[in-house]
Amino acid sequence: MGVIEEVFSIDLPVGEQFRIQRCRYIPQSGETLKRISIVSGIHGDELEGQYVCFLLGEWLRANPEKIKATIDIYPAINSLGIDSITRSVPFYDVDLNRIFPGSKNDFLPAQIADGVVNAMKGSEIAIDIHSSNIFLREIPQVRIAKSQAKTLVPLANKLNIDFVWVHDAVTVLESTFAHAMNMHGTKTLVVEMGVGMRLSKAYGHQLLDGILNLLAEEGFLDIEPLDVRKPIQSEIGEVAYLNASYPGLFVPAIEHCQMIHKGDVVGHIVDPLSGQMLDEVIAPIGGILFTLRAYPIVYEGSLVGRIFGENG
Amino acid sequence: MKRLEILNFKSPNRAPLKVEGFLFGEESKGPSLAIVGAMSGDHINQLYVASRLVEYLRQKEKEGKVIGKILVVPAVNTYALNMGETFWPLDKTDINMMFPGYHLGETTQRIAAKLFESLQGYDYGIILEGRRDQGMCLPYVKLIQSDYEDLDSARDLGMRFIHHRRYSPIETVMLQYNWQLWETKALSVVFGKNGSIDPISSKEVHGSLVRFMSKRGMLDIPVFEGFSSNVIEPDHITVLKASHAGIFEPLVSCGTTIEKGGTLGYIFDALSGEKVEKIVTPISGVLTCQYSYPLIFQNSIAFRIASIE
Ligand SMILES: [Zn+2]
Repeated sequence: MGVIEEVFSIDLPVGEQFRIQRCRYIPQSGETLKRISIVSGIHGDELEGQYVCFLLGEWLRANPEKIKATIDIYPAINSLGIDSITRSVPFYDVDLNRIFPGSKNDFLPAQIADGVVNAMKGSEIAIDIHSSNIFLREIPQVRIAKSQAKTLVPLANKLNIDFVWVHDAVTVLESTFAHAMNMHGTKTLVVEMGVGMRLSKAYGHQLLDGILNLLAEEGFLDIEPLDVRKPIQSEIGEVAYLNASYPGLFVPAIEHCQMIHKGDVVGHIVDPLSGQMLDEVIAPIGGILFTLRAYPIVYEGSLVGRIFGENG
Repeated sequence: MKRLEILNFKSPNRAPLKVEGFLFGEESKGPSLAIVGAMSGDHINQLYVASRLVEYLRQKEKEGKVIGKILVVPAVNTYALNMGETFWPLDKTDINMMFPGYHLGETTQRIAAKLFESLQGYDYGIILEGRRDQGMCLPYVKLIQSDYEDLDSARDLGMRFIHHRRYSPIETVMLQYNWQLWETKALSVVFGKNGSIDPISSKEVHGSLVRFMSKRGMLDIPVFEGFSSNVIEPDHITVLKASHAGIFEPLVSCGTTIEKGGTLGYIFDALSGEKVEKIVTPISGVLTCQYSYPLIFQNSIAFRIASIE
């Protein structure tokens, strides 16, 4: 059974503490220096990772003899946000994932970030599970900055996900948890899957299998590696963005995560007041619709989908 | 004066978002300046100073005192201002984290792109900013080092402090940094308390803006000298944190000169009423910033003190 520990605590003004807890599983022979951190809830409106944390904890409780090295599970980093449907750090309205590595000498969100880094640094690997936001639904994927691709892509391929997206490094992303941890030598994978405020059960089980496989292959679990899917690699193709051209109500015409052809109708933007159809959203390329809008209200520019198409 | 529509952006159900600019003078006659006000919905003080400046410039233009070209955009995120929100009301993104913007991108990237386009080509750029936390501070100039920043013109505001420091990663998507890269001498004036109007700071900032325009040749009016600005680097600032959470009672206010050993405030336990902390300054200097919400979090920055030691 895991041991629940409080790794960060800070007094709130009126009789309460903001806290971050983890559940630590160690081998029966005792704690090891080798450890991995499974993380979710940096954004308070993303809950898919909470389910994965539960599933993994359940598995570890049932199989304590298989544990070869320390496994830490942090289901709720922005605990205040998760319990109140707040994406950012409440009161401060700051996106926690834009404030890393944080600092002890700065406001609460920066102190939380600093506390998170201090708790997890020294981990060999970290898996940071996000679920997009309330607007978009994503297939299970790992996103990696180009500069980290060599180290991280082989690791991501073990996670039983559908897509590995290597993107250009942008300076602003230097303020993310993943960047801060990678700078500390912790190989950190960012998983995006599902949609905010909801659970996609099947994705949770898919990622659990991936994590168990990664734990086996990386020497944390004494089990046979699982047979995992081979993710599509972004380098072999291109990502097309579908942004709304009109404000209105977006009504999807097809299911998420489907193969589509160039010219297919992805959905319609309609005007509830006049009863007019304002726009037909057409796939500019063929491929897999790996992102689809879940929240129907759109402005001009709102992302309604993303398609990955292979070159040639 | 010309009233320009910088942006007219349709909403699914609301009336369109209109961003307006007020343009004074002519480019051919002198240097040019653009001033941007409230980019978020809690920057009410910034909106106030900008709109008062519009009224002031309208008067000065009638008197024939405007020499250069001056654009004032009092509010960008009117949608948030109109509903007590801070950021873009649908997706909660911050317009001032979207620069230089992208015409084919997300909604707030498009808004930023349009705005940025209308701010191109000005010699000087001033962004009226609020703090990003629950603080209240002595008005100051924030000048980030992008290698394109201009300290000389920043001094012409005559404000007491210029915070001059290297940019952080998130500042690379903010207006000041991008404006500098596009060769406008851009800086931010940070002041006030979010969500409210402070009359004293407002007057001080207004005075500084007028001084800047006079000294830089956009307004033909005599002005009093301001401060000879102290350029503050991060290590000139002493931070006093609250060791306890609770109810915060400051005894001093921004701008006060304080002596080492002086008591600056108290913290009381919010439930038992017990005095849990007396905040004493370990250093002499000027109080530049203070926490401005009655409930304080543990380790929050209660006071910032600038000193020359
Ligand atoms: Zn997230």
